[in-house]
Amino acid sequence: MRIYSFCVYLFLYTPIAIIALFSFNAGRHASQLQGFSGKWYGRALDNPFVMDALETSFLVAFASATIASVLGTLAAVGLQGIRGPARALFDAVIYIAVMIPGIVIGIATLIALVTVFDQINPWLAALWPEGGAPPTLSMGVGSLIAAHAMFTMALVIIIVRARLSSLERELGEASADLYATPFGTFRQVTLPLLAPAILAGFLLSFTFSFDDFIIAFFVAGSETTLPIYIFSSIRRGVTPEINAIGTMVMGASLVLLIIAQLILRRGDRR
Amino acid sequence: MDSQASQAEYDGDFGSGAIRPVAELRGVSKSFGEVLAAQDLTLRIEAGEFLSFLGPSGCGKTTALRMLAGFETPTSGEVLIDGERVNDLAPYRRPVNMVFQSYALFPHLSVADNVSYGLRQRRPRIERRTIQDKVTRALETVRLTGFEKRRIWEMSGGQQQRVALARAIVNEPKLLLLDEPLAALDRKLRKEMQIELQDLQRQLGITFVLVTHDQEEALSLSDRICVMRAGRIVQIGTPQDLYDNPQSRYVADFVGVSNFFDGAVFIDAGGRARLRLAGGLEFEGRAVGDLAAEGEACLSIRPEQIRLSREPLEGGLEVVVQNRIFLGEHTEYLVRHAVLGPVIALAPRQSEIGASGFVQGERAWIDWPDGAALIMRRI
Repeated sequence: MRIYSFCVYLFLYTPIAIIALFSFNAGRHASQLQGFSGKWYGRALDNPFVMDALETSFLVAFASATIASVLGTLAAVGLQGIRGPARALFDAVIYIAVMIPGIVIGIATLIALVTVFDQINPWLAALWPEGGAPPTLSMGVGSLIAAHAMFTMALVIIIVRARLSSLERELGEASADLYATPFGTFRQVTLPLLAPAILAGFLLSFTFSFDDFIIAFFVAGSETTLPIYIFSSIRRGVTPEINAIGTMVMGASLVLLIIAQLILRRGDRR
Repeated sequence: MDSQASQAEYDGDFGSGAIRPVAELRGVSKSFGEVLAAQDLTLRIEAGEFLSFLGPSGCGKTTALRMLAGFETPTSGEVLIDGERVNDLAPYRRPVNMVFQSYALFPHLSVADNVSYGLRQRRPRIERRTIQDKVTRALETVRLTGFEKRRIWEMSGGQQQRVALARAIVNEPKLLLLDEPLAALDRKLRKEMQIELQDLQRQLGITFVLVTHDQEEALSLSDRICVMRAGRIVQIGTPQDLYDNPQSRYVADFVGVSNFFDGAVFIDAGGRARLRLAGGLEFEGRAVGDLAAEGEACLSIRPEQIRLSREPLEGGLEVVVQNRIFLGEHTEYLVRHAVLGPVIALAPRQSEIGASGFVQGERAWIDWPDGAALIMRRI
């Protein structure tokens, strides 16, 4: 059994370890080690295409995670008041949203957005005052943020709901009994107690959006996120530079996920 | 039927009409779907009294309390606080505060911030200095001075209980509602807190309304007890009233311990109520409660009213001693009568038989003084 699990971990992590190892390769070929060097990291960070993609990725991840955290929290709090079959339905729909393959979400979002844009753009053109060029809605940062926020919102709802259901119902009643209005209770009791879960949800959403390739590939339009950049570079051959970028993305994601876990655990203890 | 001491009379003892009650329930009912949690509750809560709702779980006592707090809206009837109808008034607009069974302290706030929570919600805002003073005084009252900065999870159960109390009394509510506040404490601590609660109530003069299933707690703390059963008020009275004049077997059984013998009630030639038991036994008794002149009833005699004797007693009953439990002040005897079955008798330590005591299997005689036996409804 021990050997078996050792093998599982070996298969899981060897490729990742190799990528990390080769990112320090002094030579310019990905397949043979030629001494140790950190120069590819410097090369990657100097590359304007990489930095552009990184900036887009950060912007999209931050915006979508923020939107997902706010809307997800509100949805979770709202769902708390619903009982019976309606509740079961909402629960099921949320879990399904997490389980649907990214490619399906990608295609569905693409079709939905294109259809909506096709409907709205003529209206915008018609309503726009004479003289100026009417704006046209198209794929880009906006659609990326929307698609990621939609998916990660389900994650936030699940995390916040778990925390909500572990809170005593009496806390809300105690607050109301002590003259706090419903909004006052939300602000002074519910929100602070949910904060760890919301923050963890935010970090998870950020990580998901930052790492996502599949959905981004469909809805990015002409924008390039970091995963899309990596994918397109690989077609020109795997260089140590790609390995370096991959290692940095992985490191950052890992740190965020660990922080999210720590926050959630600390929140549970109280 | 001399003792038709009805509920109205007990209520009257306190109200006397001069002072307006702090709170009032007028024919209040509450149903949750098909379940009737409270039925036709009518009750006046007088200023400064310590009132308890007593009953087993599911008797509607917590529902009654929650309707006073505003967490439940009555299905019918009226809830009044300070003479005003508050049926539809939200909890945060009611001048009442509650101590929850789970305490429901805010885990993310310090002790001082928990206590000041209610004051900080008031509009127009209360000055910070005033809030601090009030918090200090409230913590002093519950003997938690110096714990201001502590976190809730650093406090013991008894200390948390006191924080919960301070958080409520700091607001000087018209009514302080306590939902089984001592249930989570161990026995010794519970005793201590009972005394503290009583002191606190006298010191502050706030009206306390307690919900409990613990008869001892209700008896030792309350000015008046409202005994409930299956959503209804069965009897309201002072602890002594309830003990001495229970109107039904339910109350006699719930408030204290009693011996019950089932039989049929009838009125004898002299106009006195008598109970006829199986085996041709007949006892005279004081009829209490709304008892039909004839029909099923039961006889209730408190164990401490029963006299035990080695010598045959005139008009007494012959019994066999089955068991003896030494209780310190008293010795409890379980004796068996051929017709009545098991009877519990409480013999004080100083009584003639107390010192040596009976042994198991010994023959004895029991009787009870006139007026000690009550004839009442079987439920």
